[in-house]
Amino acid sequence: MSPDNTGVILPLLILVGGAFTIYLVARLITSRNEWLAVLTATVFAAALGALLALGRAPGNAAPMWGNIMAGVSGMGSVVLQADRGAVFVGSIALAMGLCVAVYSGRYLSLDHRYRTYYPLLLLMVTGLLGMVMTTDLFNLYLFTELMSIAAYVLVAFRRRTDTSIEAGFKYLIMGTVGTLTLLMGITLIYRETGAMTLPQSIVAPGVWARAGLACMWVGLGIKSAIVPLHTWQPDAYGRAPSSVSALLSSIVGPFYILLKLSLGLGFPAQELGLGLMVCAMVNMLLGNGMALMQTHTKRLLAYSSIAQLGYVMFSIGVGLRYGLPEAVQAGFFLLAAHAAMKGLAFLSKGVCHFYDHTTTIEQLRGTFQRLPLIAITFSIAIMGLIGIPPLAGFTGKWFILTEVWRAADGWVYAGSVIFLLNTLLSLGYYLPILAMMFSPLPTQDTPPPVKISGWMIVPLVALAILVIVIGVFPGPLWQWAGDVLTF
Amino acid sequence: MTLETTALLLILGAPLVTTIALFSFPRRLQPVARWLAGGAAALSLVAMFSLIPALRRGDVPAIALNWMPAAGIQFDLHIDWLTLPFAITEGAVTLLAIIYAWGSEANDARAPYFYGLLLLFSVGMAGTTLADGMVLFYTFWELMLIASCALILVWGHASSSGPSRRAVALKYFIFTHLGSLMVLVSLVILYNATGTDRFSALRAGVTLAPGMATTVIALFILGFCVKMAIFPLHIWLPDAHTVAPMPVTIMLAAAMLSMGAYGILRFPMSIFTIEQMQPFAVPMMILGILSEIYGALMALAERDIKRIIAYSSVSQMGYILYGMGTLTYNGLAGATLHVIYHAIVKALLFMVVGLVVYVTGKRNIDEIGGLARRMPVVTACAAIGIMAIIAVPPLCVFDSEWMIFAGGLETPYVTLSVITIFGSLLTVAYALWFGSRIFLGQDPAETADGAPLPRAKLPLAMVAPTVLLAALAIIEGVFPAPLFDWVAHELPLLLGGRW
Repeated sequence: MSPDNTGVILPLLILVGGAFTIYLVARLITSRNEWLAVLTATVFAAALGALLALGRAPGNAAPMWGNIMAGVSGMGSVVLQADRGAVFVGSIALAMGLCVAVYSGRYLSLDHRYRTYYPLLLLMVTGLLGMVMTTDLFNLYLFTELMSIAAYVLVAFRRRTDTSIEAGFKYLIMGTVGTLTLLMGITLIYRETGAMTLPQSIVAPGVWARAGLACMWVGLGIKSAIVPLHTWQPDAYGRAPSSVSALLSSIVGPFYILLKLSLGLGFPAQELGLGLMVCAMVNMLLGNGMALMQTHTKRLLAYSSIAQLGYVMFSIGVGLRYGLPEAVQAGFFLLAAHAAMKGLAFLSKGVCHFYDHTTTIEQLRGTFQRLPLIAITFSIAIMGLIGIPPLAGFTGKWFILTEVWRAADGWVYAGSVIFLLNTLLSLGYYLPILAMMFSPLPTQDTPPPVKISGWMIVPLVALAILVIVIGVFPGPLWQWAGDVLTF
Repeated sequence: MTLETTALLLILGAPLVTTIALFSFPRRLQPVARWLAGGAAALSLVAMFSLIPALRRGDVPAIALNWMPAAGIQFDLHIDWLTLPFAITEGAVTLLAIIYAWGSEANDARAPYFYGLLLLFSVGMAGTTLADGMVLFYTFWELMLIASCALILVWGHASSSGPSRRAVALKYFIFTHLGSLMVLVSLVILYNATGTDRFSALRAGVTLAPGMATTVIALFILGFCVKMAIFPLHIWLPDAHTVAPMPVTIMLAAAMLSMGAYGILRFPMSIFTIEQMQPFAVPMMILGILSEIYGALMALAERDIKRIIAYSSVSQMGYILYGMGTLTYNGLAGATLHVIYHAIVKALLFMVVGLVVYVTGKRNIDEIGGLARRMPVVTACAAIGIMAIIAVPPLCVFDSEWMIFAGGLETPYVTLSVITIFGSLLTVAYALWFGSRIFLGQDPAETADGAPLPRAKLPLAMVAPTVLLAALAIIEGVFPAPLFDWVAHELPLLLGGRW
């Protein structure tokens, strides 16, 4: 199939064009936060529409677009491909970007640097989208850097507070090590194969390619917060503005790329699956164990993300190891459901912070009296993460359990027991949040309920409904999560 | 839509719609919240009774909707003879608990939420019994937990020396969720083995590897034993029952515990054959006996009157598990009857405890005494309740324990049966001790000169359900035939239809 489908590059063009336009609008025309939020949301919505239109394209072959340069083995050429995985991962981030942009219409009003915030949001998602769509290793590196740099700045966005500078700096150091390791991996692979394109027709990777893959795992492992390379993540999620934390937790590109690259470079799926299963156990145990010790709500949510990634890795790992495409599908289902739930949790938490300056779990006491709607949306998110039926998290876990056990193997059963015990362990930190929010304030004169801005209500209610709908009618998302990863 | 499906929908719909209304317009509905809640519970109960004629004709009223067609998951509700005794027990207990709450709970600004959550709790239990699909069953199973946990968390009364209500609610949630997860594992294994999540289809035959079948049965029994609060999985119960407000305690003890028994009958007992269940007979009987004796001993040792009755539940659930473990006709029928009778007696005793606390404001048995003079009607009801739980003929529990013991003696394990029968002596000890300390003797609150305190003024809403239950305890004991008739119909559904 000739790479001439210009629709493929459209989402990227919309995002990049939007980023620069919004910056110019902010400099030259208006720097009112509401206007910029609406513009950003429009850009996200347009890009989402363009990307989804690609997903509906007829035929089995994924639409491609390319600008192939003649020269040293294709160096410098740009080839983009909108396969199912790219559409899946990209639209999760774009949809969350849409919610975050609307939410920021009020959330950001107390900060004053709107003109950098919105373009950075767009550039971060651009980087992600480019990462998942590119079929070229060098471009992959460039897009990863674009995404990362935007993310570093956004994490340290509240530059007046020491903690966010610290978190941003830590993220910068670790992230740069990650991208550099990724680059080294790419060069090593190029050393062996002499090609930059993906997928490469390697029957079995040799020494250099294996070393390169190892470097890539480390690099992308840092980006996707796989234990023990996760240490930046609690700081970054905990200290970034809640809107940024929500968007970051919906960016699952690096993890997807890690799988896609390994399989595309001919690494055996069975071995990759085994590695994922082992890492999954560590992620679950460490994520849940650390979350139990947190007093800071957003750090807790960050550790819970590490644990949830462990559940996803477990399912995908079993699927790869035992050749069960449905188990992989279940893993991606939970990944998408988790993005919605965790986004909802971070955005709800952001509202509490916006009106009441709460950071610790203890300070959430009385949320139901002060912000009843937020208490409800936050509870939906938390109950979803626990896996209470019929919310999205339960359906995800149900799919994982049913599909994983088709492997009928002792190790899978052992892993499932750890998985279930971890679910139980996670109650230890999720439930106190719920209990705290619905506990009345000790004083008799309770503060009156706050009127929450519509900018915040709309995305929160939309996400809460989404969490319920995914749980009750999982069919469409289940279909959509199919064939994300071919192996 | 026929009359039957309407009634079936009404069982869940009436309380659910009322809950949504109460949550949506709390301020406007606050004056009528109690009436709405009572009405919804009554409507739900009437709907359950209205389905009995259909069941007698041999129909199984059902609603079937495609929920997740791709995964073969259905949204099916049905009512059969196994459901009926549990559903009606649950519905009646809810109604009486709500009426009791009219007297015992303040009708303040939070009342709409309180009654809404009570109804939601009831929806969870009714849905658990009515569901004909695993996912639906589990959904309602967890709803029951969430609603009751919220009630304990927000409305609980923690004593100053004991754990806080937050700690109690967390312990209750986490421990019960452990049981739920065991059940979930079994459900998923069955779902994978059959590709359907409907119980009716499962009954047609499950082919599992023998080892897998054993695992599934064991997990089911353990998981449901957590809900039944069988020793040593009971540790959530005493605190949760003590801290919960009285109407919630009544629903927890009289209705929710028996959902565990329903689960055991619905899943392992309905799906597997008697040969597959046989290895579990003795463990279930032994667990039952342990629970019976342990609960009674702890009740003897307790001084908090609410905890005494709470531990008595651990003991009584032991009888039910023992009866099911016998795997005999009499044992299973007796266990189901015991669920109903235990609900009557336990609700009655908790209502009495609530009235005693209402009058004296104390829960420590050392500070209470001589209440017979101050509240004679309640004393009479308490006497009936105490004699019933001891299983004095012709009160109701006598009938069910007779059948449970008879079932036990049909098995080869006569020693176990003898232990159970003699273990019931401990019930006599704590029940009589409980009654005599509270109602007889000297009231410590009386002044030194011996001037008797006046008759206590009690709200009618609290006394009426108490008297009604006391009357029921007698009526059911003397005329067990109608109830026994319901229960006998469920037996063909169990253990591969032996009877």
